[in-house]
Amino acid sequence: MKDENMDITSSGLLLIFRLGGEAFALSVSWVHEILDAQPWAPVPNSGPFAPGLINVRGAVVPVIDIRHRLGLPHSEKDLSGRMIVFENVIDGVPHKLAFHADSVEQVIEYDPSSLEPVPPLGAAWPQDCLRGVIRHGQELVILLETETTFAPPADRFAAA
Amino acid sequence: MIEQATEAFVLEARELLAELETFFLELEDEVSAARIDEIFRALHTVKGSGSMFGYTALSRFTHHFENAYDLVRDGQLEVERNLIDLSLSARDLMISFLDLGGDGPEAEALLESEDVMRIVSQLTGLTGQHENEAETKGATGTEPVQSTPSQAEQAGRTRFRVRFRPAVDALRNGMRPDLLLRELEDLGSTSVELDVSAVPRLTDLDPTDALIGWVLEVETSEGREAIEDVFIFADDADLSIEELGCEGPLAETANTPSVDAASPAPAVSAKKTDPAAQSVATPKATAMAKSESIRVTSSRLDDMMDALGELVIAQARLEAVSEEMGSPTLETVVEDMQRLVMGLRDATLSIRMLPVESVFGKFRRVVRDLSADLGKDVRLLTEGGETEIDKNVIDRISEPLVHMIRNSIDHGLETAQERTELGKPAQGTVWLSACQEGGEILVSIEDNGKGLDAEAIRARAVERELIDANAELSVQDLHQLIFEPGFSTAKIVSAVSGRGVGMDAVKTTIDALGGSITVLSRAGQGTRITLRLPVTMAIIDGLRVRLGDSVYVIPLSAVEECVEMDEAENLRESGRSLLQIRDETVPYLELEELFGQQARPEAGRRIVVVRVDGVRAGLVVDDILGQSQTVIKGLSIYHRDIPGLGGATILGDGRVALIIDVVTLIRWAETRRGQGPRKAA
Repeated sequence: MKDENMDITSSGLLLIFRLGGEAFALSVSWVHEILDAQPWAPVPNSGPFAPGLINVRGAVVPVIDIRHRLGLPHSEKDLSGRMIVFENVIDGVPHKLAFHADSVEQVIEYDPSSLEPVPPLGAAWPQDCLRGVIRHGQELVILLETETTFAPPADRFAAA
Repeated sequence: MIEQATEAFVLEARELLAELETFFLELEDEVSAARIDEIFRALHTVKGSGSMFGYTALSRFTHHFENAYDLVRDGQLEVERNLIDLSLSARDLMISFLDLGGDGPEAEALLESEDVMRIVSQLTGLTGQHENEAETKGATGTEPVQSTPSQAEQAGRTRFRVRFRPAVDALRNGMRPDLLLRELEDLGSTSVELDVSAVPRLTDLDPTDALIGWVLEVETSEGREAIEDVFIFADDADLSIEELGCEGPLAETANTPSVDAASPAPAVSAKKTDPAAQSVATPKATAMAKSESIRVTSSRLDDMMDALGELVIAQARLEAVSEEMGSPTLETVVEDMQRLVMGLRDATLSIRMLPVESVFGKFRRVVRDLSADLGKDVRLLTEGGETEIDKNVIDRISEPLVHMIRNSIDHGLETAQERTELGKPAQGTVWLSACQEGGEILVSIEDNGKGLDAEAIRARAVERELIDANAELSVQDLHQLIFEPGFSTAKIVSAVSGRGVGMDAVKTTIDALGGSITVLSRAGQGTRITLRLPVTMAIIDGLRVRLGDSVYVIPLSAVEECVEMDEAENLRESGRSLLQIRDETVPYLELEELFGQQARPEAGRRIVVVRVDGVRAGLVVDDILGQSQTVIKGLSIYHRDIPGLGGATILGDGRVALIIDVVTLIRWAETRRGQGPRKAA
């Protein structure tokens, strides 16, 4: 279900996935589907942020390297793991995109009031990509700010 | 359902208004009765449907407009420049009403705005006079909105029995019987009986069915045609209008469908033609002609095109599988399929084709307004308006064309005085023409003005650092510089042509469409700008090539030939990237290098020779895989700006391949060469 006015924090369901051992989450409401990892067609001169394209049931979808944005160690074209296909809103227009995660764990319900801010020194990831942390069982899960995490880099085509 | 019907109304109204603009402009050259009739009918339709679909403000405004053309149709009002001016402004206001999306405070405000009031008072100024004449002839004058003198009015009041039963699905289609009945009430005194015989038991009732019938007695001074007009859009309904008798000299036998029954009035023999009869007879004729076409929203066509695109991809996949299996039986089926898919593709594409005339029409207005603004006498001549282009292409070229026409009139054409002094006809001419040439459409804009000033262009280009001060360029090459980004600046852009869009923006749009643009100009004689556009941009014929592990598609329309790369040439590292093909020297580009892929020299490489802006260039690839139908999928915001890429497509094996945009690729390669040192220079 998509609702343009739905704020990610007010949506009750989160998808938890793993990147380099850490647990991350994003709102389920924008997630389209979860696929097995697959090779992507590289896009020349695209830069590291959006290196390729995949075919999602007849639609050409850009693949975003979320590790690059979050400053995580780069993993080569990894055919284990999963592809999360979701819709990101840029300037009010939804854009379908896909990114690779080591694994997709579960969907949890969550209470927005339990969202805690990330302590500035608590994480190496860019602050503007993080919405906050929530506790899930024993673990801290990082809720991503999708709009900034997946925003096209401003200087994306220096070559042009 | 109502929303859908309303949407259809808005769509239709917009089309009618677009037509109207053309019609009004045509009136300037020639006034024909058929045109006037068409104008009247269009206005009548907008007025009538407007009030049905919640655009009553529009309808009320249109009423005055319609009155004027009723008089024109009647021969009581002359078509003069003044009326045409007024009509064009009134048409623009109708668009404003449509833009407001129906009744509401905004529509009311517009209806009372100064603009509207002024137009209405001018319109009534034209019609009022005649109205008064008509009234003095002895009309009852009880109806304030009625301005056309009809015969029945002069003949007294008539009683009609109207039986009206809407079609069962009428409510679902957006009919509003309440509004129709109210309109009838407006014609005179009415009495209503309900016929509920068709209403079933409550348990069996579908509330969206229209099951009630009405029997109305209407006593009116209007004729039968006024009543018919009320029901003009309820053509599925079961309707009978029976004349019961009258108090005037009109005692005629009732129930004859003939129009004459309502209007034989001897008292009005002064009128030579009977406008009422025409208005009833002609809509039927056009309704017949129009029933052969249907109206579809373009988004549905886009959906269909998408589905077809999927089909073409699936077909390619099937072909690949069939090749793998090598079964002759399967191959035959696949071939049949392929033929059918191609047929379907062509048929679908043809539905999306629109004559260029649909944009040309818009330009008549641009030229007319502009020549008035600039005080230049300009005529627009068009040719080849019947040439068809994909609707998406048309939508996107209209803005650039307007810009170029503005340029021609503003910068190209001289003033009447200057022209006379130069011995040219005082009236400037702009030609707009279109024709098809192979898979391309050529659209050209030509004026007989002063032409481009090559030296001024050179000076500016040097000033803008686009060329070297000592560069030797032919006049032809200098002219092309007007398309360079950064060439046009606020300085040469006047209030008319300047809207922040230079010729480079025009070129960008045309490039994005996969087209090209050239200019030809002679000093003192004029300028011609020619656009070459693809007929369609949804599906193209593509050449699949391999580069390392990746597959790319090169649009076949740009490909001239493919040649083997000479072994020796391939290994040479001298920095020379020229190729001898027969007796011609062709520069070539290493795609691998441009695309930042690792160069792994392979034996037996090939060169695809493409032609861009009349220049040949070679693209080095590892292999040529074959030719296929390519469904173009646009690139996302993440990749859209990468030079050299025109889109992506899905191959038969399900992989994604990028489509090379030859024009931007070569231009980008040139700028790169200009900036950085050559690989081995």
